[in-house]
Amino acid sequence: MSFYFAIIGTRDNPLYTYEFGTSKSGGDGVARFREDQRSMNQFILHSSLDMVEEVQWTNRDLYLKTVDRFNNLMVSGFVTGGNIKFLLLHDQKAEDPIRQFFTEVHEAYVKTLMNPFYEVDMRIVSVVFDQRVRAAARKYL
Amino acid sequence: MAAPDPLARLSRPSLSSRPSTPKEFSPAPHLRSSTIDSSASSVSSVFNSPTTFSANIEDTRSLICRAFVPHIAVHVSADVDELVREKGFRGGFAELLRPFGEDLQGRINVRDSQGLSASHDDFGVRFVGLADVAASGERWETGMAHAAMNGGSSRKGEETYVGGSIEEVEELMDIQLGEQEDGAETELLDEGVDGDRERRSPYWRYLRRLLSALPVSPHETFSHPVACVIAISSRNKSPIEELRNLYTTGTNAGLPSYVHAEYLRYYVLIHDEDRDDITKSNLLYEQMRRHFGVHCHILRLRSGKTVISDEDAQLSPAPEWLAASEELAVIRNKDDIEGQSSLYLPETDVSGIRTMVREMVQLSVVPFMERCMATWNDQVASRRKGISGRFMSLSKRYFTSSSSRNSGSASSNYDPTSGSYAPSTPEAQMRKLADYAFMLRDYRLAHSIYDLLRTDFNNDKAWKYHAAVQEMTVISLLLITNSISHKTRQDTIDPHLDLALYSYLNRCSSTFSALRCLLVTVELLRLRSNCADDASKWAIRALDIKGLGQLSRALITERVGDCYRARDFSGGSTHIGTRKRKSAMWKMLAAKEWVQAGKIPQARRCLDVALPMYETSRFEGIDEFVGRLKELTAYTPLLDDGDERVGKQGDGADDDEEEVVEKVELDNKRMSLVVSPPVMEMEEEKKDDSFVQS
Repeated sequence: MSFYFAIIGTRDNPLYTYEFGTSKSGGDGVARFREDQRSMNQFILHSSLDMVEEVQWTNRDLYLKTVDRFNNLMVSGFVTGGNIKFLLLHDQKAEDPIRQFFTEVHEAYVKTLMNPFYEVDMRIVSVVFDQRVRAAARKYL
Repeated sequence: MAAPDPLARLSRPSLSSRPSTPKEFSPAPHLRSSTIDSSASSVSSVFNSPTTFSANIEDTRSLICRAFVPHIAVHVSADVDELVREKGFRGGFAELLRPFGEDLQGRINVRDSQGLSASHDDFGVRFVGLADVAASGERWETGMAHAAMNGGSSRKGEETYVGGSIEEVEELMDIQLGEQEDGAETELLDEGVDGDRERRSPYWRYLRRLLSALPVSPHETFSHPVACVIAISSRNKSPIEELRNLYTTGTNAGLPSYVHAEYLRYYVLIHDEDRDDITKSNLLYEQMRRHFGVHCHILRLRSGKTVISDEDAQLSPAPEWLAASEELAVIRNKDDIEGQSSLYLPETDVSGIRTMVREMVQLSVVPFMERCMATWNDQVASRRKGISGRFMSLSKRYFTSSSSRNSGSASSNYDPTSGSYAPSTPEAQMRKLADYAFMLRDYRLAHSIYDLLRTDFNNDKAWKYHAAVQEMTVISLLLITNSISHKTRQDTIDPHLDLALYSYLNRCSSTFSALRCLLVTVELLRLRSNCADDASKWAIRALDIKGLGQLSRALITERVGDCYRARDFSGGSTHIGTRKRKSAMWKMLAAKEWVQAGKIPQARRCLDVALPMYETSRFEGIDEFVGRLKELTAYTPLLDDGDERVGKQGDGADDDEEEVVEKVELDNKRMSLVVSPPVMEMEEEKKDDSFVQS
């Protein structure tokens, strides 16, 4: 199982991206994407924003579950209060772990947002944030 | 057990409302509405280009309607072919008639099963040589296309052209796209209206070639002859004898056994204006009328070749629905024979043929089909639909499966060895009824019959029939209704299409039929803005079909992008959500496919449409991908007029976005000036700025 996680700003600009593999059942946490799949992943995430924009109005929760599919890949989405989208590309269905992962990332993101020098839609370069996302990924996925 | 007639009538499907009002087919309102639509979309939409959705609804519908039209076989005496060859038509009388059948002048009135009449102005028929029908059936059955074609050519001295081959269509597209490359400049100058652009687009031509010259096959009867033109000329010494002779040879022409032999015979006397006496011909014509009844016509033709310098010479119209293999042959022979492509006819001939074809269709062929439909509907379909018919089919299924499994085939009419039903069996007749109804555009009746047949074919395990009927159920359903609910799509269309594909691909390995089924459905779904997602879904499914060439893949990938673009703001249950990003992604993928196929201009076109979406993207992977494509295609923005327009429209939205970006950048800077943060944070700030600008 390989994952590709991205936080997308309000103007479709990526704020943070992280590629990782599963740590469950003996996984080493390294993504197994083919080289040409890397740019494809970004295309897929970008295109699934269309679906997020539609689903976010009908779904009660911030966690939108699986919003889009592309061949055998799935995209799960999460919107924050400030219309920032968390998107996770994954190849197996796992609703609950992804929810927990998103919730934890959301907390970290809100903390980042509290930084007086951080503006909405700015790229997140904080090392602390990065570590917390990695920890969450290891913990749940 | 005789069928209770009143009951049967009651159970007939309600045909109260017309499937399509004649207004839908008239060109004038269509033009007007399309201009309104496109202007509206240019105001409101962000990413819709005027070429994609608003126009062409009628075009696409009409294309699909005109793909399934009655076929009329042509069986003539040697002297007729000789006369026509003197005029320069090497293919004989069928070739002379063919272009006139494709585009009938005026409206054709058709009565549906409820007695309501409707008129269609884009009605057409196809003329095919009777011998070609027989030969094409053989070829399709054996499945050895090229071997059979070579055999046919040696036997008759001329080739038989049949559609139904994806490879040939691809080969043709390859040549045509190459030509387009050479003549790109000239073609772009005469930029027509949007509909014209669409009609000239490669995908459009691809789809039309795919639907051209449907092969004669047991599982559908669209290409089976509905009527046969039997013609003699005034040169003939013993005309009535010859006609009788033609009748018998026509009946024993070696049509495949599954073709129903009871088609209409239409007798034509061709009078040679230059050599023979009209009074004698008129006498003969009177005699013919006495012998054969009303289905007769006298056609006055000039003999001898017409050249362009002659007075009142008219260019013979070019046939549109050529099989791909035939067009390939034309292209190959172009270098050998000069001037073969453009043939001229005297004006009197042109109007004479027009009148004859029109009269034949309106007064003989259509009434004949209506009569057949009425008969079959009363005798076969209503019996099957009635209570006793249901009971019969149910009990048949029940008892045969319980009593003895292996005798199941004995009680069914399906012949598994030849894979077909005999034309006299109720199943074959009902299929023919449904196909006739479809060709006469009575889609409600057609749909109800197709729906009935599904279970029959499924019980008989006649998989190819089953798949074809599933396919037509979906297509006729899409042609009946204007709006299709989400539920119908999920409960009806999706499973039907799935089954059709499964049967076509896995049980019959009939790639061509599967592709045709998918692409027609995709086009019909695409016309509805709220079905764009489904259209794209099925188009993507078409990409999974094995055995498609690079060009097909590129064309279909591009079409997926178009399908997503067809979805506008007003569509969907929630009235929100466009698919502009998805459309851009598929266009981008199509550009990649085009590059792989070596068709750089096509790739550039795709990039023109897709790039505005990604200009402001900050994804490294996407940027890299786009950069590589730009490099491969030597892309310079705003390639030509037409695409400039498209590009501008896309930019309209992006301009706003760029402004926003700039404002935010300014804000950042102002903030950094005012607050003067610590050094560490300053660096982070700078990184951000440099990132946004990069």
